[in-house]
Amino acid sequence: MVLELKKPRPLWEIIFSTHHTDIGLLYIIASMVALFAGGGLAMAIRAELFLPGLQVFSGQADFSRFFTVHGTTLLFLWLIPFAAGVGNYLVPIMVRYKDMAWPKLNAVAFWMIPPCMILIWAGFSDTTWNAYPPYSILKAPGPAADMWIVGLKILGLSSVLGAINFTVTMLKMKHPDLPLMKMSLFCWATLVTSMMIIVAIPTFAASLVMLYTDRLGVTGFFNAEMGGDPIAYQHLFWFTFHPEVYIFTLPAIGMMYEIIPTFSRKPLFSYYSGVIALVVIAVIGFGSWAHHMFAVGMSFTEKTVFMVGTLAAVPSSAMHVFNFLATMWGGRIKFAAPMLFAVGGILLFFSAGAGGVVNTAMPLDFLTHDSYWVVGHMHLFIMGTISFGFFGFIYYLFPMITGRMYNTKLANIHFVLLFVGAVLVFGVQHILGLYGMPRRVVDYLPIPELIIMNQIATFGGWMMGAGMAIFLYNMIKSTMFGKLADTKDPFGLGTGVEYYYDYARREPHH
Amino acid sequence: MGHGTPEWVFIGVVTAILIWVGAESWQVEHSLEYAPPNSETVRVIGQQWFWSFQHADGTQEINELHVKQGVPYRFEIVSNDVIHSFNIPDFAILMDAVPGRVNTMWNIFDETGEYLIECREYCGMLHMDMRARLFVEPNTENSTSSTSSTESEPTISQGTGTATIVSPGGSEVGSTGTGTMRVVEPGNLTQTPSGGTANGSGDTSSNGTSGDNATSGATAGGPSLSIPAGASTPGNPSYSPATLTVSKGDVITVSNDDTAPHTVTNGASPSDADAGKLFDTSIIMPAATATIDTASLEAGEHPFHCTVHPFMTGSLTVQ
Ligand code: HEM
Ligand SMILES: [Cu+2]
Repeated sequence: MVLELKKPRPLWEIIFSTHHTDIGLLYIIASMVALFAGGGLAMAIRAELFLPGLQVFSGQADFSRFFTVHGTTLLFLWLIPFAAGVGNYLVPIMVRYKDMAWPKLNAVAFWMIPPCMILIWAGFSDTTWNAYPPYSILKAPGPAADMWIVGLKILGLSSVLGAINFTVTMLKMKHPDLPLMKMSLFCWATLVTSMMIIVAIPTFAASLVMLYTDRLGVTGFFNAEMGGDPIAYQHLFWFTFHPEVYIFTLPAIGMMYEIIPTFSRKPLFSYYSGVIALVVIAVIGFGSWAHHMFAVGMSFTEKTVFMVGTLAAVPSSAMHVFNFLATMWGGRIKFAAPMLFAVGGILLFFSAGAGGVVNTAMPLDFLTHDSYWVVGHMHLFIMGTISFGFFGFIYYLFPMITGRMYNTKLANIHFVLLFVGAVLVFGVQHILGLYGMPRRVVDYLPIPELIIMNQIATFGGWMMGAGMAIFLYNMIKSTMFGKLADTKDPFGLGTGVEYYYDYARREPHH
Repeated sequence: MGHGTPEWVFIGVVTAILIWVGAESWQVEHSLEYAPPNSETVRVIGQQWFWSFQHADGTQEINELHVKQGVPYRFEIVSNDVIHSFNIPDFAILMDAVPGRVNTMWNIFDETGEYLIECREYCGMLHMDMRARLFVEPNTENSTSSTSSTESEPTISQGTGTATIVSPGGSEVGSTGTGTMRVVEPGNLTQTPSGGTANGSGDTSSNGTSGDNATSGATAGGPSLSIPAGASTPGNPSYSPATLTVSKGDVITVSNDDTAPHTVTNGASPSDADAGKLFDTSIIMPAATATIDTASLEAGEHPFHCTVHPFMTGSLTVQ
């Protein structure tokens, strides 16, 4: 049954709305703006590294600004807002409440994001996304670094407000008939993520203030010349940002839990295993932060503790992978774009996890740390796993949001280009790391192996860029002219089971 | 949950693999943790954007580190400004240089040869160029081990009290090419520029703080170039005079009156194709001097810059 599209609402009505689907849509659009802006910077970075010497950039200084803004944009303005957007769209529907618990707060949390985007892009800082002092407090040029600090500060606040809203919506506002242990795994992932945000972010928020006053010279928390300790910052930073990697990841896992059983036309293998794995990682994820700091001069005991902490977090990721595979096992799988991205994401998730285990094995980390290996590792997660889950879910949610279908052929091409591109770039980056190529360099030694591998990586990067251009075209074109979707069974699975979201719920005052 | 068994088996296998990885890592790392008591200590100093090395006997090297094969070395890694990371990829040596801390790492170099030393932690404008070279030389005689290897071509001889270095070539300090080597006696830094054609052998100058300076007559009376205090901050005057005119054959004395290390290197910037080919003082430490011999320079204008602070530029006109 094809539903008649209503007359589109005027733009201002969506912009000033506090309805959860409108806010969700704004989040999703803002995050995709960031995705394409940050991705554009990556294209320039890869072009520079196509050859040793200087091509695109005048030197390390400009290059550093590019990779700093690239990383900051994609982590904080793409991953976080996108997950919040989908959460906004679906959580109230899934827990059967009319809206988020606090709709106005929800709007405020969203509207804090565009100013941050402007601050970060207008400043164009060169601190790297880690902003390690003393570089960031003594050497990084202002006002760029200051704008970066203020921008992230506001973003952190926005995340915390959003997270509180999600938590309350799920725990307090869910329909009385819906027990917690029947809530969808997507909701569980959002709930766990929100709680992790509430625990993790304040630490970084505090260290941003300290960073700022250190920059002003009034304090010396991280300035060795004033009796401070630069390593203290790294502990605070990673106390937030190791859990943060799960904050990025779990929403994508939650989305895969929506996609995989649906397109396997089979019930999920084990709901309990999914819940347990989510909750366990939320706790254990807080005990491994210093695995980013094996080389700062930690004692043997510290290193051992954080290695064990990191290894302990791995089985729960493996449980998700197992759950996905067991669900697919024996299913009548339909490889539509959402499923392609989910399955591709799981494959890359598995290989990235194996690389993570290598990182955390103490002696091996001294080979991989701060080399291109780490770049490959994190991108395999961030692009290969998380963004793949997100792209899959964009396709999955597309009929719900627009009432239309995307062009399936272009979507499949998008997937192939991205998957092959990701394997090329991020796989080769692992090997580059083993050859000793440091990360964050504008230039490298003109050794034939390094040149060839960098060229493969750049080629893969351009494949991904092409894929993303096709994706953008598909999204815009199909939103306007795509054929109307079957709102009950948009992917033609023909299972007879009602699996898709209640289309009517997307309009306020339905 | 009737179908739980395969999942438990799977989790069991994963956990077993992780425990194995953890146990192996623990064992290897434990064996690497403590330096043998007879190690020689080398202090490694990271600084924007070069490495310097201080041997136990007081000798100091910049951007070159000479070690002996088979001898355990214990590195004390420190930083003078921001965080750097001391990395020798071929020997899997990696340790951050953190201001306010002394980090240690040790190694026995088992293969002779020349290896790359690089900085693995982002440290600013010339991070990518913060490289040095490691020379592992055959062990001929040393104080830590009683065995001496068989073949001995004279490479480094380290007197215990007086610190002199003879480079691998045996005769001339700094003959290895573009790098610099220098001889340091406590409190007195003597520097020999090297590499470029402009450096005649024997153009040695000393910093004038001790009595035995003026080893080379060339420094007296010639044109001079000064690097004023504050030069390392962009916007301040970088060279005084910024444009220097000399007659061909003059020997210019460069004095570093700033608190940061600097160079005078030909070319408008480090990315110039022939930067450093005509003349290059290499690193001049604070309060030290170096010389530039213009005998081999063509008449005309030669821009120069500081490789440590590329925004510092000047120009030399030879008549
Ligand atoms: C199997 C699970 C994982 C393990 C064992 C693991 C392990 C590690 C380790 C040990 C490092 C430090 C490497 C180094 O700097 O020397 C690292 C870096 C990193 N990991 Fe993971 N990781 C895992 C999962 C993830 C996930 C899910 C993400 C998702 C975003 C992620 C993102 C990152 C990032 C961003 C870095 C680099 C941070 C930086 O230095 O800029 N990791 N990982
Ligand atoms: Cu981590």
